[in-house]
Amino acid sequence: MGFLARARVKSPWILHYCTGGCNGCDIEILACLTPLYDVERFGILNIGNPKHADILMITGPVNWRSRHVLRNLYEQTPDPKVVIAIGVCAATGGVFHNCYNVLGGVDKVVPVDVYVRGCAARPEAIIDGVVMALQKLEAKKSGGVSYAAGAR
Amino acid sequence: MSGEQLITLLIFLPAVVALGGLVLKGAAAQRVVFVPAMVALMVAAAALALQVLPREALTFTPPVGWENVVAVLKYALIAYFLYVGITARNGLVLGLAGFLAVLLPVVQFGVLGGHVAVEPVFYADVLAVIMCLVISVVGGLIVVYATDYMPAHEAHFKLAEPVRTRQPQFFFWFVLFLGAMNGLVLANSLPWLFFFWEVTTLCCYQLIRHDLTDEARGNALRALWMNLIGSVAMVVGIGLAYNSAGTLSIQDLISGGSAPLVLLPLALFCLTGFTKAAQVPFQSWLLGAMVAPTPVSALLHSSTMVKAGVYLVLRLAPGYADTSLSLLVALFGAFVFMVTSLLAIGQSISKRVLAYSTIASLGLIVCCAGINTELALAAGIALIIFHAVSKGMLFMAVGVVEQQIGSRDIEDMDGLVARMPLLTVAAVIGMLSMLFLPFGVAFAKWAAIGAAGALAGGYIAVVAFLAIGSAAALVFWSKWLGRMLGEVPVVADEKKPVSAYGSVLLLVVGAVGLSIFVAPLVAALIQPALSTMGYSQAFDVSGWHLRTAIGVFPPWALFLAVTAAVLLPALFARGYRGDLDPVYLCGVNVNGGSVQFTGMAGKPVLVTAGGAYWKQWFGESRLTPASNWIAVLLLVALFAGVVLR
Amino acid sequence: MTWPIIVAVAAVLLAPLVGGLLRGLDRKITARLQGRIGPPVVQPFYDFGKLVGKSRVVSSKASMAWAWSYFLLTLTAFTLFFMGQDLLVVFLILAFAGGSLAFGALSARSPYARFGANRELLQILACEPILLLAAVAVYFQTGKFTVCSILEANQPLLPYLPLVFVAVLIVLGIKMRKSPFDIAASEHAHQELVRGVYTEYSGRFLALMELTHWYKIVLLLAFIALFWAQPLWVGVLIALGAYFLELWLDNIAARLRWSWMLGVSWSLGVGFVVVNLVLLSVVV
Repeated sequence: MGFLARARVKSPWILHYCTGGCNGCDIEILACLTPLYDVERFGILNIGNPKHADILMITGPVNWRSRHVLRNLYEQTPDPKVVIAIGVCAATGGVFHNCYNVLGGVDKVVPVDVYVRGCAARPEAIIDGVVMALQKLEAKKSGGVSYAAGAR
Repeated sequence: MSGEQLITLLIFLPAVVALGGLVLKGAAAQRVVFVPAMVALMVAAAALALQVLPREALTFTPPVGWENVVAVLKYALIAYFLYVGITARNGLVLGLAGFLAVLLPVVQFGVLGGHVAVEPVFYADVLAVIMCLVISVVGGLIVVYATDYMPAHEAHFKLAEPVRTRQPQFFFWFVLFLGAMNGLVLANSLPWLFFFWEVTTLCCYQLIRHDLTDEARGNALRALWMNLIGSVAMVVGIGLAYNSAGTLSIQDLISGGSAPLVLLPLALFCLTGFTKAAQVPFQSWLLGAMVAPTPVSALLHSSTMVKAGVYLVLRLAPGYADTSLSLLVALFGAFVFMVTSLLAIGQSISKRVLAYSTIASLGLIVCCAGINTELALAAGIALIIFHAVSKGMLFMAVGVVEQQIGSRDIEDMDGLVARMPLLTVAAVIGMLSMLFLPFGVAFAKWAAIGAAGALAGGYIAVVAFLAIGSAAALVFWSKWLGRMLGEVPVVADEKKPVSAYGSVLLLVVGAVGLSIFVAPLVAALIQPALSTMGYSQAFDVSGWHLRTAIGVFPPWALFLAVTAAVLLPALFARGYRGDLDPVYLCGVNVNGGSVQFTGMAGKPVLVTAGGAYWKQWFGESRLTPASNWIAVLLLVALFAGVVLR
Repeated sequence: MTWPIIVAVAAVLLAPLVGGLLRGLDRKITARLQGRIGPPVVQPFYDFGKLVGKSRVVSSKASMAWAWSYFLLTLTAFTLFFMGQDLLVVFLILAFAGGSLAFGALSARSPYARFGANRELLQILACEPILLLAAVAVYFQTGKFTVCSILEANQPLLPYLPLVFVAVLIVLGIKMRKSPFDIAASEHAHQELVRGVYTEYSGRFLALMELTHWYKIVLLLAFIALFWAQPLWVGVLIALGAYFLELWLDNIAARLRWSWMLGVSWSLGVGFVVVNLVLLSVVV
């Protein structure tokens, strides 16, 4: 593995966005940064700007107001990038399923690469999801996986 | 032509052209007369330079009859100021002009005992020639620029009521100004200097009130009375100088060593210079002068008027070398430099920023004169040249911008580069030339800090002021510069009047060219000027590096590096044809663009980011009163130091 | 004439390595201070490599140009410094570089970048006087403004310029973008104004910013090392000590307001240098 390829998986910067859930998963994401889980061990940084991010961590069922924001953030993140949907809300809408104001899942707006289950998702599961996402990031760059057009 | 004829020409040509200008109407006629006349003026200045350079100095004494003419004209001028004071019901003007009307005969007949012959009347050394070149070249280009500006200015101003054009009067005072300035810098006789000094005051007064609005009249009167303070100081100085030294020749005064008795008149002349150079606490007249049409500002700020003030201080520098006066002049100048640079941070009106920056640069020149070593004086002279070129150009550029976008507010210049690419790039280069290193103005700053640092003692405070001031200058220029470069979705809409753009671009080329070739400039003009003033050589210019005993400045090497660092990326970026991505707006960009974001209730809101001015720290109400008082205290200390020693 | 060039070339080549490693140590130590394990020491290089490999995202042409100017001007100042040139020239060119960073951020139509740019200018306003005065202080001790003169002097500067040293530490904190001075943008990935001046840069431009930052840190640390240049290794230890002092401060301090920064750097910073110079000219 060349240095650049190695660097890519060694330095995933994360943008975290909540599309309207209960914030339970968000708390767990932030828990990953604490000394107990310390994801910076893997070079993971929580960053506040899509232009600097590699991995989009999206929580919540995506409501009508946040879908444009999600779309914009996704488009402003430079390639190669992966999207992780954290928690069951982000996967299917969860407890908000069929609510009048939600789309029910991140993949209704942007293509999702990894789904992390749980309500709320545990930090271990989130870290596991990031590891899977990194494999996918590497595959994307080397041409193994093409970018999905995604449901809009 | 002989040197005498050239000196006569430099003074009389503008006066004659000015009289001719009174009958000219229309831009075409003005251009036909003014462009050749200004070219002739520049050629005359250059010819004088060629004559003076090989032999240090050239002297000229006109026939005695002229002394009487000048004496009569002097009283006529003061009578006119009295008339202005009476008709405008301005107590200050009236009082000062009245005082002057009493003082002048008292000095002339009481102290001088009638007529005192001064030999020579005109003394053209290299310093005077440098000033003549600056006045003729920069001033001449501004005259050419004004032929484009004034018709548009009048069209804009007189939309409602068709009034008779006042352009002939404007150009009369405007061109006459150049002649008076040439006379002022060439004069060696103090009475003649005083005469030219008053003529510049008169021209300045007439030009500021040109638009005849209430504000213009008020500000013109303020400029008048503040400059009259300087005139009073000068007359008192002349009397004291004759009383103590028995001479009215500047050269004799300053070469006679720093006899304590001569110091007081020198201090008074410095005060005169400070009023003309609009140093704090007299800054308000120059700030008020921006009500005048922009060419006037360009002229006042770059090559004439204020430069007369610093020229006088610089000219007298050998006279007060190694005295407490020198230290206090340096402290005063450095303080003005610092405080006006800080004040400029808090200003959003472009011309006001430029005005403060002018006062700051003049403060720096005054400071250089006060530091009074060969390095500092070289810096001061270099600054006179570079500042005139850059500032003249920037004022003209701002004038064009004002006419095309209808505002002089920096906030309205957001993304000007998209609207007026050519002019903005020129202005950006002009601004860079005012603040960053390989360019001349920053070179002068480098030399000044070095020179002040080399003197220890009280000059430590001078260095501290200079350091803070130059950091502040960086901030206010950068804020403005960055603002003009902003990415704005507009199409270019740039009218390019030939005379205006030509003058601006010529001065940009001049600013960059002079900065690149600063080493030959120093070797050819500034070092000879220093040696005729009695200083040793400041620089070793071998290899076109500027090497001093304490440091080294490699101009062309730095220019290569900076050109590679700034120009190449700019060219590459210009050639970039890829898409531009929207900026980050928390993901609420409307339609994924950079122009609007989704605000309350889904309404699109235009993206704006105002400039930062930090008024609570740098506003006029915060800084001006205190700085005025400190400046007054410094002036009191300056005189106390001279009187009590 | 050949030696300065060799030194400068070597410095230009080695500085990214040193700067990156120092940043890596910084992150490791910061993590340890917070009770974490932290990333590997070479993490900054991974970050750099990753950023280079990202696709290009540009929001303004002028920003692109100024990013390169920022890098090249810093490199110019860096080279001049290691060639033993005039310190005032070095610091003035460094100011030009800082200005370019602000121009780049102001050129983008981003409110966050503009905020960052204005704050960057305030940081320059805070640092620049101290650096210029420090150069004057060097002159007081060595009789010249050049870097060479410090190396050729026969005694170290620090015993004579202790207060100047403290003032330069303030500048180091500001230039390293460490708390309490991380006002324009934090050296860390997190920041309340998104990422200040860096907001609109991504991918290889952000990598360029990072590289420039390394050069700048090495330049400042080298200047600090010059405070004890006889022998130089003592100075290097002092510079490393200063670096870790800043790390420690970063971890115990919160970000404070810009007005506080300006107040501290002007009153304490400029004040210290002036007092030092006055003492020096009175005592010696």
